[in-house]
Amino acid sequence: MNLNESKSIVRESILEITDGEVEPTDEMNLIGKEAALDSMKLVELCLVLEDKSGDLGFEFDWTSEVAMSRSRSLFRTVTSLAEEFLSQSEKGK
Amino acid sequence: MIVVTGASRGLGRAVAERLIQSGEDVVGLSREVADLPFDAMVCDVSEYDSVKSVAQKLKREKKELKGLVNAAGIASMNLAVTTPPSMTQKLIQTNLVGTIHCCQIFAPLLIRKKMGSIINFSTIAVALGLKGESIYAASKAGVEGFSRAFAREMADFNIQVNCIAPGPIKTDLLKGVSDEQIDSIVSQQIIPKVFQPRDVCDLCEFLLSPKSSSLSGQILNIGGV
Repeated sequence: MNLNESKSIVRESILEITDGEVEPTDEMNLIGKEAALDSMKLVELCLVLEDKSGDLGFEFDWTSEVAMSRSRSLFRTVTSLAEEFLSQSEKGK
Repeated sequence: MIVVTGASRGLGRAVAERLIQSGEDVVGLSREVADLPFDAMVCDVSEYDSVKSVAQKLKREKKELKGLVNAAGIASMNLAVTTPPSMTQKLIQTNLVGTIHCCQIFAPLLIRKKMGSIINFSTIAVALGLKGESIYAASKAGVEGFSRAFAREMADFNIQVNCIAPGPIKTDLLKGVSDEQIDSIVSQQIIPKVFQPRDVCDLCEFLLSPKSSSLSGQILNIGGV
């Protein structure tokens, strides 16, 4: 998997949990005042990514000390989440 | 399936047995699981990886979780100034951190179904501020605070989180507490009597049933305070 494929997985997951109501972009904020997802949807996104990581042979761990930090969170944007997903996939194999 | 921690003895075991009698599919978690009359798995709730490993196994087995009863706990009746630091650490790690571990690791299994009930165990010692139970009460006060906030986090997913806070109930946890001490505590309850494990089981059944769907973030003191 490369970064583009990882981004694609994250975007598809967002479409899934929002029934297509949110059109994800790479720089879309996932946390903070302008977040496209509320906290409930963010948790659902994590669960969908956990399922997809299982299909890919690793377990996605979304816990992080800085999960809600606007500057350092893996949930800052679709891209940052995709980077973390990719990183964990590489470590998990 | 309902997961019950601390299932090898005391209130945890009583609750697990009651749920089995009521026809529920129960998985008990405990550090020792020999000779238990229900499905059980070894788990030390104070260890995150131990809880995680059990949750992963249950997920692989495609078991659908509908409830979690966090009954695992230890007690130490002692003055704060005579309690060794190792016991302070153990009380907080098992009673508070263990409850948090189980909630955060099992909650996603409930979130997937958007329904479920979580019951955490506190103690009437929190509300009464009982002398000789300061550190134990502190660990359980943490459980109450966590439960109230966690209930709000889970409400969006149709998951209830409540606490049962028993007074003195004759279980292993009360070993070493004199009858005089028990009488003194019971006299401070609104209903001044010693309740039985079956009373706690009744409340657990209620909180796990749809009949309790209007309750979340509540601390239910057995006997009343």
